Amino acid sequence: MRLNQSMVAANPFEKHLINRRRKKNKGFRSSGFTLMLTSMVDMFSMLVIFLLQTFSNTPEISIVRGMELPRSISASVVREAPVLAISKDGNLYLDQKLVGRTADISRKPDELLNKLNFIKKGWVSSHTTAFSGDINLQADREIESTTVSMVMAILTSSQFQSIQLAVIGK
Amino acid sequence: MSRRGGHGSKKELEFELNLTSFIDLLSTCTCFLLISAVWVQIGTVEIKQSHGTEAAATKKNSFDLDLVFKNPEELRLNLKKDGKQVKSIEVKSDTNAGMLIKLNEAIGSQIYSKDSKAKKIEIAVATVTPKSTVNYGQLISALDVLRKNQIVNIGVLTARGQ
Repeated sequence: MRLNQSMVAANPFEKHLINRRRKKNKGFRSSGFTLMLTSMVDMFSMLVIFLLQTFSNTPEISIVRGMELPRSISASVVREAPVLAISKDGNLYLDQKLVGRTADISRKPDELLNKLNFIKKGWVSSHTTAFSGDINLQADREIESTTVSMVMAILTSSQFQSIQLAVIGK
Repeated sequence: MSRRGGHGSKKELEFELNLTSFIDLLSTCTCFLLISAVWVQIGTVEIKQSHGTEAAATKKNSFDLDLVFKNPEELRLNLKKDGKQVKSIEVKSDTNAGMLIKLNEAIGSQIYSKDSKAKKIEIAVATVTPKSTVNYGQLISALDVLRKNQIVNIGVLTARGQ
């Protein structure tokens, strides 16, 4: 038993054992070590302050796996709205759920229109104000711009006129 | 270090702060903030597709701007007033990046300096006509140039067969 660098032994036998251990360990490094808590607490504090400063409570939208969004220098804050995504492999997703192939939907948009109308009705029933027509549109930066514009046409015909194109802010 | 108290008792000034709970709190905070941190900053570029009567009202000194893509390195700017074309500018370069720089220059020097008597003309609506050879990333870059020039009311032409 060690307390304040001094040896405290309950009886002479214990004292003898401790002395023997000390003699045995002479020349070897002590197995006990002290953890420098000051620097660790400093590091933790700085990390917490940094993370609290960068913490944002703006709404976030999840990106479809494998999608590479274009970069923009004039990006503004994301608004909470349904998310329509056009992936590089040609699939169209509405709120992370597969709707179908983009090429098929641009020819026959009934299924997408039904889903959009369902979202619109839900919005109207839960809000007292007029329908805002907000929708987030994600598209891979490599896909043709005309594909995006065709999807925009479907959205516009379904009264989703305020289209937020998702980008990565620089 | 010690101080003699009024009643003659020694009061220990050095005390040990129990760091365990403090470290626990900091660890929990760090874990929570690291998990909830946003590493990819997603933003949006707003497109307002005019629909029926919701089209922007025409002001006295406001013009409409059409941006027609021919290919990623070439586009045409059409300045219109009351539906009539006032000016047409061809913007062309060897690369898409070069074309965007020229587009920025063309809007700044040729579009905004068009009406010398007025202080500055106002672009009410800009309409971008995409092309199949132009990818979405390049379209966004062109929209960036427009927004950089205070043109915020932007629409994308959605007609088929473009």
